[in-house]
Amino acid sequence: MTFPRTLWRAFISSIAIGLPGLAAANTLTVQITADIRSSQPGINRDAGTDSVMLNVVEGLVAAGEKGEIRPMLAKSWSISPDGRTYTFTLREGVKFHNGETMTADDVVFSLQKLIGHPEFSCKTFFDGSRDAKVESIAASGPDTVVITLDRPDAMLLNYMAQSQCGSTGIVHRASFNDDGSWKAPIATGPFTFGEWKRGEGLTLRKFADYSITGDKPDGYGGRKDVLVDAVKYVVVPDTATAVAGLRSGALDVLPYLPPGEAAKLKDDKAFTVVAAPHGGLVTMLFQTGDPLMSNIAMRRAVIAALDTPQIVDAVTYGLGVPNNSLVASGSFYHTAAQDKGYLHDPAAVPALLKAAGYKGEKINILTNRRSAINYDTAVIAQAMLQSAGINADIEVLEWASQLDRFNSGKYQIMAFNYSNRTDPALAYQTVVGSKAKKANAIWDDQEVSALVNTALQEADPARRQAIFDDLHARFLDQVPLVMLANGLDVGVSGPKVKGYRTWQGFARFWGVERSE
Amino acid sequence: MLKFAFTRLLSAIPTLFIVSVAVFGLIRLIPGDPASLMLGDLADADALAAARKAMGLDQPVPVQFAIWLGNVVQGDLGRSVLNGQPVLDLVWHRFTTSAQMVLIAVGLSVLLAVPLGMAAAWRQNSSLDLAIVAMSTLLLSIPTFWLGLMILLAFGLKLGWLPVLGYVSVADNPISGIIYLVMPVMTLVLHEVGIIVRMARASTLDVLRLDYITHARAKGLSESAVLMRHAARNAFGPTWTLIGLILGNLLGGVAVVETVFTIPGLGRLIVDSIYARDYAVVQGCLLFVALTYLFVNLLVDLLYPLFDPRVTAE
Amino acid sequence: MKRHQRNRIIGGALLICFVSAALLGRVWTPFDPMRIDLRSKLQAPGAVHWLGTDEFGRDVLSRLMAAAGTSVSISLTTVALAVLAGVTLGVLAGYARGWTDRIIMALNNAMLAFPSMLLALALLSITGANIYGIILALGLAYTPSIVRVVRGSVLSLREREFIEASRVMGNSPAYTMARHILPNCLGPVIVLATSMFGSVLLTESALSFLGLGVPPPAPTWGNMLASARPHIAEAMWLGIFPGLCISLSLLGINLFGDAIRDRFDPRMRGL
Repeated sequence: MTFPRTLWRAFISSIAIGLPGLAAANTLTVQITADIRSSQPGINRDAGTDSVMLNVVEGLVAAGEKGEIRPMLAKSWSISPDGRTYTFTLREGVKFHNGETMTADDVVFSLQKLIGHPEFSCKTFFDGSRDAKVESIAASGPDTVVITLDRPDAMLLNYMAQSQCGSTGIVHRASFNDDGSWKAPIATGPFTFGEWKRGEGLTLRKFADYSITGDKPDGYGGRKDVLVDAVKYVVVPDTATAVAGLRSGALDVLPYLPPGEAAKLKDDKAFTVVAAPHGGLVTMLFQTGDPLMSNIAMRRAVIAALDTPQIVDAVTYGLGVPNNSLVASGSFYHTAAQDKGYLHDPAAVPALLKAAGYKGEKINILTNRRSAINYDTAVIAQAMLQSAGINADIEVLEWASQLDRFNSGKYQIMAFNYSNRTDPALAYQTVVGSKAKKANAIWDDQEVSALVNTALQEADPARRQAIFDDLHARFLDQVPLVMLANGLDVGVSGPKVKGYRTWQGFARFWGVERSE
Repeated sequence: MLKFAFTRLLSAIPTLFIVSVAVFGLIRLIPGDPASLMLGDLADADALAAARKAMGLDQPVPVQFAIWLGNVVQGDLGRSVLNGQPVLDLVWHRFTTSAQMVLIAVGLSVLLAVPLGMAAAWRQNSSLDLAIVAMSTLLLSIPTFWLGLMILLAFGLKLGWLPVLGYVSVADNPISGIIYLVMPVMTLVLHEVGIIVRMARASTLDVLRLDYITHARAKGLSESAVLMRHAARNAFGPTWTLIGLILGNLLGGVAVVETVFTIPGLGRLIVDSIYARDYAVVQGCLLFVALTYLFVNLLVDLLYPLFDPRVTAE
Repeated sequence: MKRHQRNRIIGGALLICFVSAALLGRVWTPFDPMRIDLRSKLQAPGAVHWLGTDEFGRDVLSRLMAAAGTSVSISLTTVALAVLAGVTLGVLAGYARGWTDRIIMALNNAMLAFPSMLLALALLSITGANIYGIILALGLAYTPSIVRVVRGSVLSLREREFIEASRVMGNSPAYTMARHILPNCLGPVIVLATSMFGSVLLTESALSFLGLGVPPPAPTWGNMLASARPHIAEAMWLGIFPGLCISLSLLGINLFGDAIRDRFDPRMRGL
């Protein structure tokens, strides 16, 4: 009986080998849930696009394993005493994918083109509307680039390294058509950009002339050894299909899996489940401008009714780390003071509700089905609130609609994830602000805003630590939102793959081996 | 006949216009816009305004509509905000992908379901009849997203006979193209067979009661001759209308099956574009779907007289 | 003759089963269908939880019973809405002819070519994600096919002698439509409506799969089936039971519907 089946399998695989793209000797096949938006770093992007493109492009600096700034295309830099001038010294002999050697002029061209682009997603980081304005980018000699700002900005290198900004990746002039429009990335990363079949997927190939630096992998910096010939990304929108693909061997890596699915594969020896929290925030937001939720006693009642470690454990299937502080659990600044969290105290709820003057009004929790974590959080929190006598209700919205409610501030409670924030000050900056000026701000408090701004300007770690500790105490007292855990991306790799790790929610493919 | 086709096509214009207006209005009525989706949680008021301006969304909706309609009349359906591709290319490419699958599936369903339905009618009240009816009802009531996954797990994973995911166009490589189509087509066939069997059975029953069948039987023709020569041809009319409706519906997208089997078809494009608020693509797709729908219906009406001589196309 | 009786009995029995389960589900279920118990999640069917528990530890049987009410009422209201709107428009178009007919049919064709997904999304965003939005969206989506069928039969009816007679007797068009046309075109509508009941259940399920549909935690068979899908490998029962509910209720409706159809079809009466 087995004979015809073997024969048939051989037939199928011989056909598969005949296909373009699968023919490469050692190809790692990776699931993406949606096609990438564009191949131009920092422009028309989303998190999935960043995760693919940062295998291809590199910036002057990169984020290290713990979020610290590491050299990448620049081997060193210096900051002038007034904090306004950054001078980068480039590494020598770095080759672009087309074989050209990178010069300071290339870097200036690429950075100017990106920062001046009207659709650059990090435009506001560099044009003075958030922080300092970049006044000039100039070459001074063949391997020196000078960036001048209008005022000091301790965050500049952080912004440059951010994935949302495409790591301000350096691309060659030939990446553009003659009319200045985008063609395809010719960059310096360890993979070159191969065929892109829109709606189906794309292939990255090993860049043979990649100039290796560093001694070990370190975030998006450090050593990048490519151990496969190519990485083929396949668009598979349905999780169940992707898992079947992994089991059948058609897929090698599923970088983003709902925790529930990953938990099922965890006990299977053939598969390696990797999970690591990153600087993103898994939260339930309060609209502190809402008549009911503006009452601090009401918010404290909600907090007292929620068993946040249990929620985190349930929604991440034990893979997540509960954290009630906006300072990420993996951060250098996450000290014992930051470990202090919410108190789960159902007995205190009635008194708090009485103090809040709560009369059983319905409280609406918004959530979506795009994120399994958001959805499960809302379902479990609703049950906990109901049993504590708070009349909570769930409304499931499609993602774009929920995002619209988030941006306009029209909600009472919302299960929401913030994407990766590489520094605690950036995490605070995300949620703190004046609601009048920025409708999606959560925590509207002038003193807190001032503290966050100081933290953004401050370079001394000890003084920053003091600010973060102060902020955390205020955060626990005012409860502007429920901080549950840091963002969690769970990946799984198949039996043939060795060395795949997830880091800050990104799928990096250097240092990953695939055996035949 | 030509005149009929021409008037029908002409009368389609108001329908297409209504579809365009409705789609344009509805998709903008839904909260969320492509600019805020692109920026995600990084959005602040300035960045949002800039992105909206770059996408031309800062104009009043009627102005946007007028611009779009003007371009459509000149054959320009715009570009996708998601990946910058021209909408017409995108829609056509995705449509041919879906059409391969749907045409094969509907063809097979008809070949399978019409004889089954006729057999059930012919042996009405027998256990064969009951079995066919019960089976088709059962198939009808399994959602395709469930049926598809069962087929995928059985043939793709357990037995390992067919590739679990991936897609190759039949035009590029006929053999592997067909292998990738087996499971999605099977899913669609199992579902559509349920519907067509019921209709074929009902219309055959109607025909079998008519006088000329009794007459044919009285002439001493064998049952099979009666069934094949007289009943089959006439009973196919209403079924043909239904097939047209099914075809029109499926060509407009089989989002669920395409999602399960990772086929980059039109249905998934519509769903993805609605989620991404890719306005130009949604508008282009639905205009195209409406056109396909009207075209298939016209074709069905023109061919109807072939199956039912009592009806003329006028 | 026998088969018709048998089918009517089987169909009727199935329907009575589901309706009584739905009614019972309103007042009593073995467990609270919404109660989350994370310690006993994904339990196989057993002595305590007869049909097992779901991914939040909620009792499947209780949820099926609660869902019966929601699913049946969504189905009924949707079809009622579609029939009401469809018959009114269809009779109007078929009887008045001329521009009324042309406008109604142009709108109707546009609706037919419109994906229910976009309609659902748009309406849900206006009404809020709730049952009423779903009913409105599906009701609108199902109306055009009824309009078509009704208009077709009205077109042939209006040429018949008794309609002519009613007109000659000086009855108003409204009276003629209500008294003579309406009752005579109900047969095909009933056939169509019975087949729609099941289709509504499935469409609601597909909407849930695509991320729309009735918002949990309120269970429907459709959203139970959709959310059971990730657990197909280790908790098959989560999908099988709601699936069976949909299958059997559909079978019941279809068998019963065939029997009704035979009653309304004059040619069938003699058989």
